[in-house]
Amino acid sequence: MEGSSLKYSAHCVFDLKACSRSDVLEELLELMPLNGNSRKLIHGALEMREQAGPTTISPGISIPHCRSILVDDLTVVVGRSTAGVPWPEERVKVMILFISPVKPDGPHEHLAFISHVASRIKKSAEAVLNASSAESLLELLGMEPVLGGVDEP
Amino acid sequence: MNLDLERLIGLHDLDVMIADLDRKDILDREKMMGLSPEKAREELITLRTEYVKNINKKWLGLYNQLTKHYGNAVVPAVSCRCTGCLTRLPTAMCSDPERNDRINTCPTCSRIMYWAE
Repeated sequence: MEGSSLKYSAHCVFDLKACSRSDVLEELLELMPLNGNSRKLIHGALEMREQAGPTTISPGISIPHCRSILVDDLTVVVGRSTAGVPWPEERVKVMILFISPVKPDGPHEHLAFISHVASRIKKSAEAVLNASSAESLLELLGMEPVLGGVDEP
Repeated sequence: MNLDLERLIGLHDLDVMIADLDRKDILDREKMMGLSPEKAREELITLRTEYVKNINKKWLGLYNQLTKHYGNAVVPAVSCRCTGCLTRLPTAMCSDPERNDRINTCPTCSRIMYWAE
């Protein structure tokens, strides 16, 4: 899966309104097909993961993530903030939020996605930070936009 | 949703995160990406200690027993089946509109269940 040409589907918020880490997570989670309770629980899990150690993988880029029994499929939302958001010690401009399902065969999907993101960021971190549109940002990350907008939970 | 049920789902996901950071493949990958998985794991264990203080002892005891026995204590019910043991659940349980407002356990395997709505 390393450096794969596989494309993942992702939602993208190119101009985030949120100014804090918690609000960014909330804004991004709003795009996921989750009901209110699941959204709240996943938000809590993501906050705990960030509290345990910020998920900044390159200057300006973070990957808030968790695995949860509340999702059936890998779900990805990419966010970008022009001004950057404190995360909390350094400003982050691009957030790749993903939730992987908990499956009996283990976290293979989760690992494959982490590998995919790692290879893309290694190759083009600067370009990712300077992407001029949602389409080019997703393209650089090896993703394509989810069609049809937000699904009803 | 029942507050204890919410907390048990949260605990399950927290335990998954802790277990993931104990896996060599994930540990190596996260380190390669510049993260500090060992430190994060320690922090998550500390957060867990605080988190469980808010869970009813009865349900926490059941959760711990089930986790020890099956590896997973909380599972979603899908198409009126427990996804832990795949047993068909009583119709009355599945059709109850308030099924997530209390803690339901599978009559066969005793896992704690919730309905994704």
